[in-house]
This record gives sequence, C-alpha cells and structure tokens, in this order.
Amino acid sequence: MAGDARTSANDPATIARERLRAAMVRLAGGDSGALEEIYTATRVKLFGICFRILGDRKEAEDALQDVYVNLWQRADRYDPTRASPISWLATFARNRAIDRLRTGKVRGGAVPVEEANPLPDQAPLADSLLVDAENAAQIHTCLSALDANTQGHIRGAFFDGYTYAELAEAADVPLGTMKSWIRRGLQKLRACLEASEAS
Amino acid sequence: MSDYPDNTGPEPKRDDPMIAAEYALGLLEGEELMNARGKTGSDADFAWRKEWWDNWFAPLTDEMAGMEPSSDVWTRISEEVNGARKAGGAQVIDLTSRLRRWQWTAGITSAAAAVLMAVMVFAPGSEPVTAPGTTQTPQLAAADPLVAQVPIGDTGLRLDVTYIPDSEKMLVAAIGLTADGVHDHELWLVPADGSELQSLGVVAPGEVRSMELPANVARNLENGVQIVLTREPIGGKPEGVDAGPVVAQGAFSQV
Repeated sequence: MAGDARTSANDPATIARERLRAAMVRLAGGDSGALEEIYTATRVKLFGICFRILGDRKEAEDALQDVYVNLWQRADRYDPTRASPISWLATFARNRAIDRLRTGKVRGGAVPVEEANPLPDQAPLADSLLVDAENAAQIHTCLSALDANTQGHIRGAFFDGYTYAELAEAADVPLGTMKSWIRRGLQKLRACLEASEAS
Repeated sequence: MSDYPDNTGPEPKRDDPMIAAEYALGLLEGEELMNARGKTGSDADFAWRKEWWDNWFAPLTDEMAGMEPSSDVWTRISEEVNGARKAGGAQVIDLTSRLRRWQWTAGITSAAAAVLMAVMVFAPGSEPVTAPGTTQTPQLAAADPLVAQVPIGDTGLRLDVTYIPDSEKMLVAAIGLTADGVHDHELWLVPADGSELQSLGVVAPGEVRSMELPANVARNLENGVQIVLTREPIGGKPEGVDAGPVVAQGAFSQV
C-alpha cells in the first residue's frame, strides 16, 4: 500500500493527480485535445460509478458519453484551486448518473456487487486515481461510528442510488421511520466530520 | 455502536445542512428534489454545504469497482465533440469559447473583481476610478445601451442583460445565482421578425460576463425585443433537440 508515499510530491499518485489537474485546466482553456487524456486516465473509474448507479451497461455508457461531452462543454466549472480533479470528476459522474435515474429514463437501481466485474489490476491508473487518502479514512471512521443498520441505508443511497422511499420499501418500514433513522445518522455524521475538520 | 438504529433522543431538525446531505446522497425525489436544486441555484450557503458533503462522500467512490467501457464510447464522444465544433452549433460554441477565455482571464476572482473587469472591458479608455458595486457607471460613448431585466420566478433574483450598440458587447450579470450542478440556463434572443431564436449562450451563475455578439445576432437587438431563459441540461441545449422549458423572460428597452 502506498499510504505514506501518497503524501510525497514525487509519488505516482501526486504526479497522476497533477497531470490530470493540468489537463482539466487546458481543457477549460479551449484545448479539446486534453479531453482524450482525461478520458484515458479516468474512464475506468467513472464508468464504474455510472454502472454501479444505473445497473445497465448501455445506460451507463450513454451516461459516460454525456459526462465527458458535458465536461468538454463546461470544463470551466472546475476550479483547480479547490478540489482534487478526480474527486470532482467522480462526484460529477455520480450526480449525472443519479440525475438519469431520477428523470425516469432508467429504473436501474441496485447492481449486485458480483455483477460489477471489477478490474483490479488492469485498470489504468486505478490506484493512482484514488480520491484523497486522508479524506477517505475520515469518512470511513465517521460512517463506522453509526449503527450498522443506519450505515447500511446511507451506503445504499450512495452506492445504489436509492431514494428514501426505496430504502423504506426495501426495509419494510414506514417512510417516516426511514427518514428519521437516516437523518439521525446524517446528524451524527456531520458532527463527526466537522469535529475532524476542527482538530 | 450497535446493529440497530438509534431511536433515542429528539427527532433531528431538518435544517439546510441536513437537506444538503440528503440531496448529495441522492435521497430526494419529486418536489423535494426540485426544491433542493432550486436552492442550490439561489442560496450560496446551501450550495457550499452541498459541495462540502460531496467532497466528503467522494472517497466512497473508490469502493465502486472500476469497469472498462466499450471502445466505441470514446468514438461517440469524439464524434459528438467534433460535430458540435464544426456544425451549426459553431456560433454558440464560438461564444462559449470566447466566454471561457474571458472567464479564464478573469481567473477565479470574486464577483466584485469580475464586475471591475467587465467595466474595463467595456470602456478601455475610461479610468477605473469607481469601486465596483457603486452606482456610478463607466463612461460610454455614442448610442444608449439597451437593458433587459429577467426576473427568475419569484425568487427575487434576476438576470441583468445590457447591450451597448456601438461596442457589440453584451454584459450578462447573474450575481446571486449559483449552479445546481444539474441544469444550465441558456439565454435566447427572440428576433422581432419571427425568425428562429438565437442563442446568447449559457448563463454563468454568480458571475458577470461580457461577450461579443456576432453581427447576425447583434442586428436583431433593438428596443422591445424579447429574450427568454430556458432550462437545459448542463452545457446548454444539445444539438438536434428542442430547447427546454422557458423559466423566465424579459424585453430590452433603451435607457
């Protein structure tokens, strides 16, 4: 594991991230050629996200196309001083996929994990393009402080794109009960994350 | 930690940070989703909190297994991008790239600095003696500007569009608006002669932007001419599909 190396300026993760950041800046400046570089470096991660949310290969490929075309059109929305490029792109892709779910184009929902066909080793730059390791540790710490049930529901929303109503149905509880469970969880999560920022 | 939900204590308050979390996770649908989107566009604190949650949740995507898409996805992307660059969309794309260059020049500055920049773009010869945000206007030559105010629903927010005939420059101010991450808004000129709507580009929330208008758009700008704002997918109206719903409208008047 490259845990310590990630903090060094010369390690592969930092280099990959800075290369991606530079490509995003070039794209925003009107260099369309930068799009292919960004696609090559990020397609495996972003396609994995789209597929996980949409649960259908064709839909996920349409979503992926939509993500990169929109990125090209509006690369200027990425602020290189504020966010890690891969973190921003991952959020962008997930939001686009969720939006597809909610606009009724697809009714995919959950994908069983075993169908998700992981590419652990062949994935280009997969390891280098993990989102900030420190943030990752903190969100996991704070999530795992929640009761297992609530944690499961919050993860269901994030990973499978479930709404409150879908989670309530799956757990066979009234909608209000599910909302109340998750909101208690989110309240604790926020307190935990904010405490970590303050320290 | 236990396996069962903690049902003790008072019901949590559903404040804005809570709603932002629900929105970031994707829990909302229907009217609640529309409200959250709208709030992201109109409330900077809410938009900040949504981004805060997004940034915290982003590392979870590392647990989603990577997958290789079919090789024709890149072909489709590059065809779409190249098609949009060449084809009829050239005018809009040209405006977009000009805007992008302009924005890049302005950098990641505050809205106030952007206003100052826009003022300087407008009147390169004038001395920038006024602080941005004051009521004084820059010295402008010749023809009187045309202005249009486009109220956005009942939010109290509005777009201010100013066109200086002799300069062929248009200033679009969308201060106070913030992006919802799901939609863009595109501004259209409705030519008085009944010809096809002309795009004035995608509105940049929270910013003042100056753009040069091509002659075929500029000649349609006259007193009384209408503009409409439509809600579009991110990036503006895709080629070959109808424009989205009109969410606001206004008309130019000479001042």
